[in-house]
Amino acid sequence: MTPYFYKAPVLTLDNVSMEYGGETVLRDISAQVLDVCRPNMNQGQVVGFYGRSGLGKSVLCRIMAGLITPTSGTVKVGIEQEEVTPGAVGFVQQQYPLFNHRTLQDNLLVAAARKYEPEEAKRQTDAYLERFQLSQHRKKYPAHLSGGQRQRAAIAQQLLCSDHLILLDEPFSGLDIAMIDEVKKIILEVTTMDELNTVVIVSHDIQTTTALADRLWLLGYERDASGRLLPGATISAQHQYNLAEMGLAWHENVEAEPEFNRFVELLKDEIRQSA
Amino acid sequence: MKELFSPNAQPRRRTFALMAAGQAALLLGLWLWMPLRMFPSLSEVLRAFVDMVTTQGLIQELWASMTTALQALAVATVLALLISYLTALPFFRPLAYAASKMRYLTLTGLTFFMALMVSSGHEVKLSVLIFATTVYLVTGMTSVILTTTQQEMDHARTLGLGEWRSFWEVVVLGKLDDMLEVVRQNFAIIWTMITLVETLYQSEGGIGLLLYKQNRYLHLDGVVAIQLVILAAGAAQDYVFGLLRRVFFPYSSLTTAR
Repeated sequence: MTPYFYKAPVLTLDNVSMEYGGETVLRDISAQVLDVCRPNMNQGQVVGFYGRSGLGKSVLCRIMAGLITPTSGTVKVGIEQEEVTPGAVGFVQQQYPLFNHRTLQDNLLVAAARKYEPEEAKRQTDAYLERFQLSQHRKKYPAHLSGGQRQRAAIAQQLLCSDHLILLDEPFSGLDIAMIDEVKKIILEVTTMDELNTVVIVSHDIQTTTALADRLWLLGYERDASGRLLPGATISAQHQYNLAEMGLAWHENVEAEPEFNRFVELLKDEIRQSA
Repeated sequence: MKELFSPNAQPRRRTFALMAAGQAALLLGLWLWMPLRMFPSLSEVLRAFVDMVTTQGLIQELWASMTTALQALAVATVLALLISYLTALPFFRPLAYAASKMRYLTLTGLTFFMALMVSSGHEVKLSVLIFATTVYLVTGMTSVILTTTQQEMDHARTLGLGEWRSFWEVVVLGKLDDMLEVVRQNFAIIWTMITLVETLYQSEGGIGLLLYKQNRYLHLDGVVAIQLVILAAGAAQDYVFGLLRRVFFPYSSLTTAR
């Protein structure tokens, strides 16, 4: 097993609940992402939140990104564990939005201008374009980019202005196998850029999310003593998995390992039972 | 040929141009050889056109009307943009709502109030046009603003842009091309109104007054000639607006279905 140890928390969800018009969408969600360190390695972490369609994953994303305030509970981010505000967490939405009226380079410059002076912003933008293999498309408008290029651009844009934490809402949705491999590469690329970089994947693709993550939380419904479903999706104690501890994290081709596949099958059973 | 009648087909440029030319020729042919003589003939219209250009100053009147229309459009666009963008603040939303509803007011009643408020005939004409155009523009512009999605605003906010900067980036800059389209579409309304306003305030002349006189004396050939001149001016304006859109907002046509 790869040696590792944990340092300070980088994201904390403390009893987060959300109601809309009296209807509970999310209930008492608690989870903590810790900065994981591996000796002689400079790599951040990938964690996953799995939830079936319609469970309120996008609401959870917007809460974690500081775009909406939960009805109760708090979200704290960063080493200082400050309450989340819009812009504190990079958030790549499902459709990879970019400013359609700006060229790719300008899109990144707008983001970079938040943290850097104009000269440095330009330099950082160039570096990100290079790193994400987008240099040749810098003058193109988003409508001219392919799905993969658009996704890389959206991630680069968020990385340029956020502080290490980046949230991906359904990053594998509707992608073919080659594109999924591409996204996986991008995610690993992001984590190798800085020890503190943390990618939070919120997805309904259990296989890919589990393969990439070193911590996993399953969102689902709980039942009361009489067997009735309780309102609002939550993360129960038995649905929190430390994949590093289980020896399933940071393997190059983990999806080919029987142990991994047995675990995914177990997760699927858990998901079916909570339906 | 078959593709000209297939839904959503994309005929070749040459085929399409030939088809459009054929349709125009057919229309012209119908006009030339139509047995029913309700409509003045092409030669009569051409004669009336030449007569109005040489003796009644059609070009000068057209220019006068056009400069008034452009003046009104410029002021109305600024006012309408201001009112529409102010809807970001809840306090101003009733103003935009009321402005939009005022498009139901009739011009005839309005000119009376405007005449009380301003001094010269030109100002009355201009203020009526500005008012009427503004209320139409506000309607179109606010509906453009309402197309802003949660995703677009969230995207700007996650980049750490404040609320005003997000509004500027997403709504103001992001929808400027759509606003130009609203202006283009509503410019046609000015032409409808200017002819009416010019007949109400005849001291300043204009193509509307010329049209009114031709109508009054049942000079159908003159009426058709003026209408065709207005049609040509409108088509030229549309072309210019399209050109401006392509030059200043090259991204705007990239996502349009063809």
